[in-house]
Amino acid sequence: MHIVFFSTSNVFRAEEILTDAKIECKIVPTPVTDKAYCGVCIETEDQNAKDLMEDMEYEIVD
Amino acid sequence: MIYFDNAATTKYKPEAVYEAANFYLREVGVSPGRGSYGIGIEASRMLYKSRCAVGKYFGMSRPDKVVFTKNSTEAINLFFNGFLKKGDHVVISCYEHNAVLRPIQKLKEQGIIEYSIIQREDLGLSAEDLFEKYSQENTRLLSMTLASNLTGRIVFREDVFEVFHEKGITTFVDSSQGAGKIRLSMKDMKIDFLAFTGHKDLMAIPGVGGLCCESLEHFNPLVQGGTGIHGEEYTNPDIFPEGYEAGTLNMPAIWSMHASIDYLTEHFDEIASREKYLMQYLLDGLKGIDSVTVYDEDNARVATCSINVGGISSDKLVALLDKNGVCVRGGIHCAIIAHEAIGTVSTGTVRLSLNYMNTEQEIDTVLDILRNVGE
Repeated sequence: MHIVFFSTSNVFRAEEILTDAKIECKIVPTPVTDKAYCGVCIETEDQNAKDLMEDMEYEIVD
Repeated sequence: MIYFDNAATTKYKPEAVYEAANFYLREVGVSPGRGSYGIGIEASRMLYKSRCAVGKYFGMSRPDKVVFTKNSTEAINLFFNGFLKKGDHVVISCYEHNAVLRPIQKLKEQGIIEYSIIQREDLGLSAEDLFEKYSQENTRLLSMTLASNLTGRIVFREDVFEVFHEKGITTFVDSSQGAGKIRLSMKDMKIDFLAFTGHKDLMAIPGVGGLCCESLEHFNPLVQGGTGIHGEEYTNPDIFPEGYEAGTLNMPAIWSMHASIDYLTEHFDEIASREKYLMQYLLDGLKGIDSVTVYDEDNARVATCSINVGGISSDKLVALLDKNGVCVRGGIHCAIIAHEAIGTVSTGTVRLSLNYMNTEQEIDTVLDILRNVGE
């Protein structure tokens, strides 16, 4: 799944949080959707990842 | 050459700072927040790490809540112009740099705000008394410099910030002087917003500054343009921090600050101790020269002082020191209200500002020159 954010800064905050939680993830170009999120997003297979996103605004794109 | 103008810019930086800027230019060299290719992503990651390094250094609850600008002047303008609204009242100190005074004065001339200046003789009042004397019903902001760029006096007071903050007034620190010399915790010291610049005692290369936002209160951006996100919108998106950083950021300078903050964090106590020693050494020497006047001599200070020498004007003293290979700054130092406060508008002063890389021998050389002037 892809976790997409409005803020690029939040992408890297999310990466930091997931890495600290030992959740495998990588930063990849954001899939094209009908809404313009920032250019990069988090890709991960771990469904628990979205529970760690704290106060950040994000969407899940499968 | 003897460089005693560190309050303007620290000329000599830790080696790691030069290496970081060089590394960014040669090995990365692309913009953050733009391309989604590998090295572009790495640039964005370095930007994020830099934000967090700054935020941690200033003791923020959320260290990534940092907006980068080109210097503190831009950060101050961003905050004042974006935050203040018609009818607001602002309290500032008499030691503010023109970087604070001028945007505030301009907003006043535009009929948007009013402001009051805490007078020098009142700076020793209790926090409650200061609040009673200077706040009004419409006071929305307290703005204080961390330290005077003119005399080195430490102006920021935690107790004053606590009282104003408790009364619902937003608090702001201009940390341009002293950010690398005084430990701050925005969270604990009730500092809602803080402007910083990299090129002074944070020891980064010139071209980076910023605004730390402990408060989540909304303000408007200063510059409209490309933000790397929401390119379909006709104005900046209301997204923090990118919505406040239109245009390409100065990443070599930002990455150099990441390195300088690492260095400062590791060596903070030894730098502070060395600078305190050197400043006292200088002040003791100046006390021994009858013709020298030191301003704010008895106040707690950073490693900066301002002097005049009887019998010679400040501009001639600067020229004489320069002839002897000594770099100091004379004149008004972009701090007109501070000069009004200490009574030196007509004479100016000569500012000597040290850092930990200076030596006793350099101070002795300058003292010898001043003694000869006195004689």
